[in-house]
Amino acid sequence: MRTSHERGIAEVTITVESTIKFPYKRSLGPVIGPFMTALAEQRFIAIRSGSRVICPPLEWDPETAAELPRDFVDVGPAGTVCTWSWVSRPTEQHPLDRPFAFALIKLDGADTALTHVVDVESIDQMSTGMRVAPRWRAERLGHITDVEAFVPGEEAITVNGGVPGEPVTMMSYDASITYKIPVSDNTIKAHEATAQGRLVGLKCPVCERIYARDRGFCPIDTVELTDDHEVELPQRGVVTSYTIITPVQYPGQTETEPFSRVMVLIDEIDVVMMYQPLVDVPVEDVRIGMRVAVVWASEAEKADAGRPGNLVGWMPTGEPDNTDPSLANRIM
Amino acid sequence: MERHTAKSETQMLLEVVSGAVDDAGITRADVDFTCAGSCDYVAGVPFSFVQNTDAIGAWPPKSDSHVEMDGAWALYESWVRLLLGDMDIALAMGSGRSSTSDPAILYPMEMDPFYLAPLGADHANLSAMQARTLIDSGMLTERQMAEIAVRTRRDAKSNPLAQVSGDFDVEELLAADYVNAPLRLHDMPPITDGACAVVIARADKARELCENPVWITGFAHYTELHNPGMRDLRSSTAATLAAKAAGVDEAPIEVAELQASFTHEEPLLVEAMGLGPEVSVNPSGGPLAANPIMATGLVRVVEAARQIRVHGRHRTLAHSSSGPCLQQNLVCIMEGD
Repeated sequence: MRTSHERGIAEVTITVESTIKFPYKRSLGPVIGPFMTALAEQRFIAIRSGSRVICPPLEWDPETAAELPRDFVDVGPAGTVCTWSWVSRPTEQHPLDRPFAFALIKLDGADTALTHVVDVESIDQMSTGMRVAPRWRAERLGHITDVEAFVPGEEAITVNGGVPGEPVTMMSYDASITYKIPVSDNTIKAHEATAQGRLVGLKCPVCERIYARDRGFCPIDTVELTDDHEVELPQRGVVTSYTIITPVQYPGQTETEPFSRVMVLIDEIDVVMMYQPLVDVPVEDVRIGMRVAVVWASEAEKADAGRPGNLVGWMPTGEPDNTDPSLANRIM
Repeated sequence: MERHTAKSETQMLLEVVSGAVDDAGITRADVDFTCAGSCDYVAGVPFSFVQNTDAIGAWPPKSDSHVEMDGAWALYESWVRLLLGDMDIALAMGSGRSSTSDPAILYPMEMDPFYLAPLGADHANLSAMQARTLIDSGMLTERQMAEIAVRTRRDAKSNPLAQVSGDFDVEELLAADYVNAPLRLHDMPPITDGACAVVIARADKARELCENPVWITGFAHYTELHNPGMRDLRSSTAATLAAKAAGVDEAPIEVAELQASFTHEEPLLVEAMGLGPEVSVNPSGGPLAANPIMATGLVRVVEAARQIRVHGRHRTLAHSSSGPCLQQNLVCIMEGD
């Protein structure tokens, strides 16, 4: 057994910031759906589980896991704060953009508590046992945030109109997380090499396999790879396999027409570069055995800040194809 | 374990796996089964566990598994796998680099996607509500919580891997502003990058590999309802059941390493697991001293095992937890010869 031995704050000089979006759309099912539909109608419903009234409702009995009959009952709209926490610095995921309280709220008639937020001006106005009621949003979608917040008191703040005619069956949940990922030294060196029009790899001192310059270690011998292991790679090779991708227009996809990605076995050494772009080759002309060479970005292309890297892709050399049938086995 | 690392999860794992197999006097080739605990949302990389297999030397191919849980659950799966009897040595890992994002943004991703996540309900705020429940019911005071922080930080001084340690004054801690009232900074775990690896073996192989093996004599985990509004937050039924199933009351426990990530969770867990005042709790400083999420629970196992191997204790307990307000709880009881 062993734990990592570093401590303190390490020097992290370069990070890349990336935001991953999670645009989930979820079906709500036979119990959460009616609850969300009721929210859109400015009502709360709960489900009976034996003698208990559960809100927000669940599909199954929390004690026995038996499926519950769809025996809904109206609860609230006012309720009692069972416990709470104070958020002094809201995040963009929170329903309010000013300090507020999270609270577990037992709506009148329910035996369990709903988690929601309470909008008060200061922490001094919060207390366990206080009475709260919902302030409904004007535009309601059938979503937990149709309640903008709970506010002190007994009276719900309702907004006339906006009642949807149909049951709510789906909900959106759009989260995003921003990461600041440290860039490894090997990745920096890999970018520097391509900026100089060099194709380089790292050679494992044990098995002598060669890996991409940013890899960091040999996964077979679990040896760390550093600058000492850098080797220059030839800039020509042969296509050993390929795939034609018909782009689905998911968020972030910029391609609109079918395009190819090829595996290139580099000349003289035992390295396959995976999923490489081909330049100026119609998809119907892509084939195993095609001889290709690296294409680097032109000065104009380099100046385009939107371009991701200096290696544009691979272009046919015009040499005769390599007809060795075993090539097709070299995809990695 | 540290606040920020430039190393990838794979690199962190590479180091701790090398340490663990060296310590066991074996090589990666001797390991029959590997299981890792990590989380893609933490890594910010889809299928990040696939890259992490590079750390285990997966050629020739290995029998490998992964849990989207703390490495303590990876150890549990490894233990269950060895019980089948056809393999001798397993390696369990946990890794997390949580410094790359904001926990308040990250944690809602683990919550109920209908009722909790869309509100941005995070681990710290839900925990803060549990702390207030304990305070309101007279089970705990903010002062007692600060005293726990003072004790764990002092204990952490002798832990070379601790990130938060030193001598602190209760009055000074209580004078600080709240972060998520009733929680102050000292009530909350630090953000830590880190990894942990443990080698386990079946009995015959263990005797072959070392003179004084640490024996896993009880291992269990339980979960309860996810939504904190539907539970009695004054206790943890899942922790009670896990401790009982692992055999906590069959013989005295000398040391307990608990994944009490917030100060108020420590007395709650001690009570739920029926640990008496004679039990030394978190002498390593616990998660309040270093909290490499996805590995924090496995570190508890290592620390509890060290109490036997290094400090000559006979019977110790390690605990891990996952989910909001101690939803899931794992207990591993270890004994020396």
